[in-house]
Amino acid sequence: MNNEELDSQLSAMFDNELPPGECELLARRLSRDPDIKARWGRYAVIGAVIRAERGVALEGIVAGRVSAALSSEPALSVDAAQPSGSRIPYRWWQPIAGVGLAAGVAAVSILWLRSQALPGGPGAVAPAFVVRTAALAAPAAQALQNAISPAPDSFVVPPVSQRSTMMVPATELADYVVAHSAFSWPVSRGNLLSALMVNEPGTSSTPARSEQPASGVQGNAIQNPK
Amino acid sequence: MSADVSDLSLVRRVQRGDKGAFDALVLKYQHKLVKLVMRYVRNPAEAEDIAQEAFIKAYRALPQFRGDSAFYTWLYRIAINTAKNAVVSRDRSPVEYDLDRSNTDESYDMQGRMKDSETPEGLVLTDEIRSTVNAAIDALPEDLRTAIVLRELEGLSYEEIAAAMACPVGTVRSRIFRAREAIDRRLREVFEGGLGRAEELG
Repeated sequence: MNNEELDSQLSAMFDNELPPGECELLARRLSRDPDIKARWGRYAVIGAVIRAERGVALEGIVAGRVSAALSSEPALSVDAAQPSGSRIPYRWWQPIAGVGLAAGVAAVSILWLRSQALPGGPGAVAPAFVVRTAALAAPAAQALQNAISPAPDSFVVPPVSQRSTMMVPATELADYVVAHSAFSWPVSRGNLLSALMVNEPGTSSTPARSEQPASGVQGNAIQNPK
Repeated sequence: MSADVSDLSLVRRVQRGDKGAFDALVLKYQHKLVKLVMRYVRNPAEAEDIAQEAFIKAYRALPQFRGDSAFYTWLYRIAINTAKNAVVSRDRSPVEYDLDRSNTDESYDMQGRMKDSETPEGLVLTDEIRSTVNAAIDALPEDLRTAIVLRELEGLSYEEIAAAMACPVGTVRSRIFRAREAIDRRLREVFEGGLGRAEELG
């Protein structure tokens, strides 16, 4: 590189207009070469005069004093500096820890899902919500039914039950799930159904009834023949 | 182009233990910093002391500088805080410095020492530098003078200057460099014939 090209780069670097790759090389030369440093200092003087910085000593008094004061200071170390763009050291255990964490989350999720499937478990909240919704809608539905037909052949179930918070019989719920899970994953479907069947005595061999889940506005209700 | 890429290169070198790179940062910003501090203190010698202290504080704090802001912005804040603290501590000081200052020579600091920049030689050199630079700028061709003034006085980027002068960015870079070279040729004579303090830093 000839001197003119170097000086041109120095001028651009002074203005923060030099590409980063070229800056690295020139910064090294600038910090070591007294001639380049002196030229750099004169570029600063030119700027100060153009900006008419009155009262400012243009000879660089401060720079000389700072340099002298810092001569007794220890040089900064790499460890002390933590630039934001610095590379984070590679840690071999990080991928393993990541896989372990993912496996743990998956295991907890499976256990939680299985507990949800058990009657009387936390999953009972959802049917209870259905019951409550149905109960709230019951008076209006009843009035509507009376107006339309005195003897309805179906109704929204169950309005009230005294057996448990799990109001829907397991067999009916199982049928409902079968009807809605035609395309679900076979393993999870088996787990859910087997859990339902095992926890409802005397119903595991009950044949599926020919109920069709309600459609349209009764998406959460089950039609039950009388 | 990043606004701070050159400064950041120098900062990284300082953080890796290269003190010479910090000299370059001080050379670049010392005039701006003294001018900034003079908003808080009227005395140029006191402003130089505060600027010096700010630079030393910045050097010591540089390991914590992550580059989230521009280096000069960070340095600016340090200088402002140093200046404010200096004013507060001076006001609390029992030494009647302010009262005396209006009646005495401002070239003396609190210990009665004469500052280098206030010596007759220093003042003459500063005036000579100023007149030399101004004469060199006046002698520049119009396109070079416009480019360097837009850069140094208005603080425009090369891209903005290119738009203002309707020329490529590369031409702007070349014009600013040639303007600096022309001025620097004249200025070097003053420094080499004068006290030559800039070379002492190397």
